[in-house]
Amino acid sequence: MFNQINKSIDSAIGSGAQYADARILISKSRNISSKDGELEDFNNSENMGLGIRALVGSSWGFYATYDLSDKSLIEAGKKAYLIAKASSKVPGNDFPLADVPIVQDKYVTPHEQNPFKVSSTDQIDLLVSSTHEMKKLGSSIASGRLNFWDTEKWFGSSQGHEIYQNIIESGGGISSLSIGDGETQIRSYPQSFGEYRTGGWEVIQSFKFLDHVERLTEESKRLLTSPQCPEGTRDLILEGSQLALQIHESVGHAIELDRILGWEAAYAGTSHLQLNKLNEHKYGSTLMNIVADATLPGALATFKYDDEGTPAQRVDIVKEGIWTGVLTGRDSAAIAGVSPGGMVRADGYGRLPMVRMTNVGLLPGESSLEEIIASTDDGVYMETNRSWSIDDLRLNFQFGCEVGWLVKNGKIIDMVKNPTYTGITPNFWGSMDMLAGKDEWVFWGTPNCGKGQPSQIGHTGHPASPARFKDVRIGVRG
Amino acid sequence: MKIWENLIEDTKKIIPSDVQCEIKMINSIDSLTRFANSHIHQNVEEEMTDLYLTFHSDGKTTNLNFNITSLGSIDEVVKKALSEIENNPKDSSWSGLASKENSYDGYRNLSPENPDLRAQKVKDFIDQGGSFNGAGYCSSNVSNVFVWNTNGLSSSDTATSAFLDGIFRSETSSGSSHLGHKTLENIDGEKVGQEAYSIAKESQNPKDIDPGVYEVILGPDAVSTILVFLAVYGFNAKSKVDGTSPIEIDTQQFDKKITLVDDPHKEGALNFKIDASGSPKAQTEIITNGVPKSYFHTRRTSTELKEKNTFHEMFGWGDSFGGLGTNLYLQPGGISKDEMISNVKKGIYINEFWYCRVLDPITQVVTGLNRNGSYLIENGKITKPVGRLRFTQSFMSSLGQGNVLGVGSENRFADSEFGEGILNVPMLHLKEFNFTGGVSG
Repeated sequence: MFNQINKSIDSAIGSGAQYADARILISKSRNISSKDGELEDFNNSENMGLGIRALVGSSWGFYATYDLSDKSLIEAGKKAYLIAKASSKVPGNDFPLADVPIVQDKYVTPHEQNPFKVSSTDQIDLLVSSTHEMKKLGSSIASGRLNFWDTEKWFGSSQGHEIYQNIIESGGGISSLSIGDGETQIRSYPQSFGEYRTGGWEVIQSFKFLDHVERLTEESKRLLTSPQCPEGTRDLILEGSQLALQIHESVGHAIELDRILGWEAAYAGTSHLQLNKLNEHKYGSTLMNIVADATLPGALATFKYDDEGTPAQRVDIVKEGIWTGVLTGRDSAAIAGVSPGGMVRADGYGRLPMVRMTNVGLLPGESSLEEIIASTDDGVYMETNRSWSIDDLRLNFQFGCEVGWLVKNGKIIDMVKNPTYTGITPNFWGSMDMLAGKDEWVFWGTPNCGKGQPSQIGHTGHPASPARFKDVRIGVRG
Repeated sequence: MKIWENLIEDTKKIIPSDVQCEIKMINSIDSLTRFANSHIHQNVEEEMTDLYLTFHSDGKTTNLNFNITSLGSIDEVVKKALSEIENNPKDSSWSGLASKENSYDGYRNLSPENPDLRAQKVKDFIDQGGSFNGAGYCSSNVSNVFVWNTNGLSSSDTATSAFLDGIFRSETSSGSSHLGHKTLENIDGEKVGQEAYSIAKESQNPKDIDPGVYEVILGPDAVSTILVFLAVYGFNAKSKVDGTSPIEIDTQQFDKKITLVDDPHKEGALNFKIDASGSPKAQTEIITNGVPKSYFHTRRTSTELKEKNTFHEMFGWGDSFGGLGTNLYLQPGGISKDEMISNVKKGIYINEFWYCRVLDPITQVVTGLNRNGSYLIENGKITKPVGRLRFTQSFMSSLGQGNVLGVGSENRFADSEFGEGILNVPMLHLKEFNFTGGVSG
């Protein structure tokens, strides 16, 4: 494969590009969905192709093709150069590239059972039996899904990188939806849209779906007759997976350096963070310690090298509430004068690599969910995301959860439905006063992060444990 | 295309007579030139040829998809599919293959636009912005689809599209504009740039206003977002099958001023004239004078609901998604933008919505924000730009009876949360819209 990659790279450099890199990918995926005890969708997918990136002046040119013949690969290199060159009609300052080690290496995701070698009957049976049980117990719509990815990547560059990686990811989840009089209520496990990690079939087995079908069905039905989440300002306790999404939206995207530099301004937006405030800006309370760590075993965004060949690493993002780090690529890091963090990835061979969250997580505290609830006089404990929305500076957010639990004088006293909360990023994180410890720290994964044009879907990780936030506006309704 | 013809000829030789098989191919060249900080920084092109194969045998179904490189030999693929299918449970909602009579020949051998023309359109846009910071993209696409099945159906179609979408930013404001057409040469880059610049200029130094219920005028992109949510969560027949759709056919659920059709044959329509079953689409009434007339059906949903298929299966999407109209036109009214503004005593003009998410599909309560140009209107005149607002509003109610005060006279292809080129809409004047938060949360 590296010979083929180098043909394309040589062609781009020979045409006049100052730098070029290319990836050949073989990507396999399997998607299984079940509804009400029946198989709804079973799809195996496989594709293969090359994407080459050429740097000319102030622009990347990128060309992707499924045709891996020598003629096509050489043509692809030329096209990447010509596409980049066309940008000179509207030029900017030349892009520098930060130095990274030039590496030849191999990496395979540690796993026990490759999900593509496990009988599809076992995978289908797990979903069908889970949704069958929930339907039998009274769920209006019982659904489940499993997704597996096996991606082989060969990366080479005009600087001499030759890296092979085989990334294996597995995940899925189940949900019970109850339909009442003009409303729906849903409960999901392990989290909404499922939980995803690097690893094999053993990831799915660890979830033990069938142990949760009764609780999910009972809770989704009970929500229909539960009172509405009260409106007002109260203490808010977030379960880990909801906190993971809160981190994703109000920290993870805000610290992407391409956004901060304005490269995503027209679509995904920019950021409320300004580089001249790095190491000064107060992001949250002293309990807030965020790291971006692509080396965490088993987390969804764990790899050995990013799609620019930069080694995976752990970078401090927020230390004791102070903003200290950003997510970078070789181009953005050089422009901003920071170290390249190995955080650039692409959605398949056909997309231009871009800054992507790795495992951006909140380090655990020293409390526990039990202690947090016991020390709350008037609050709501919210579990499992149902809706999410945040402005393009990553400041003003509103989240909805599947279920809320009213907490009075240190005890859960009632279930409430349609719980929502809203806030402004630094105020919200500044109000975090209790954080659960390592025993409740979970490597939550988000497999559906949209960014870029053309649109790309990214897989990101967000380790988190439950936490409490003081005086948050909750119960917003339309 | 030769590659397609060869594949089908090879397939015909090896498919057992008791197996139903459907093969779809999407061949496309997608190009996109992206700019930020007033220069082009990313410029991409992808050529893809993806195959989607469905096999149904002994009451069981399996789906495989490959790109043409990973397909290898069709012989091996068929063997693999027939071996896998044995492991699958029965497919009780299988609705068969489209009939041979539905065949349609729309393939045209078209070439992609070149990157120099996209760069020129970007330059035309940037040149309108003065000292403001420009960002956005110019895209062009040629897509071909092919469908064959063992009933003897053989269909094809070709579609092209081009879009210029950009914003200008000042220190305190931003303004956007968006145009789409079948060809890039018909996109007026200067016009898009002038619109975006004008909005950014007029939006400088916005003032915060209190949240609450306001009269609103919505620009085409904001209108498009409301309609696409109703289309995906309401008119998609899969949501009706699942019991989560708020749409009731032949019931006066919307204001009489709302008439929506899906018309792939309208002059200038951007998307395919066939659906993913290979069947031709017809003009379909979706809402007529505020009354829902049809869901977007697929083979499976029309069978489950025992309704006529409207042929809205999407290429590249699985059966679990359902159907969606992709050539939707909201009928224009006769009110110009100036006249619409002059009719507002106190309200807000919203150019674009951002990050909208459904709180409950059955009520269609959605939360989201405004961006890229919002103004307060008082006594028929724009008086000041306004800052960030969060709404929490039922999209069903927003177009409900009596809430649509006016429909604009000019339609355009608008962007939406679910993509561009799907909806062609005018501006709308709505009586009430619920803003639940401001800049401070």
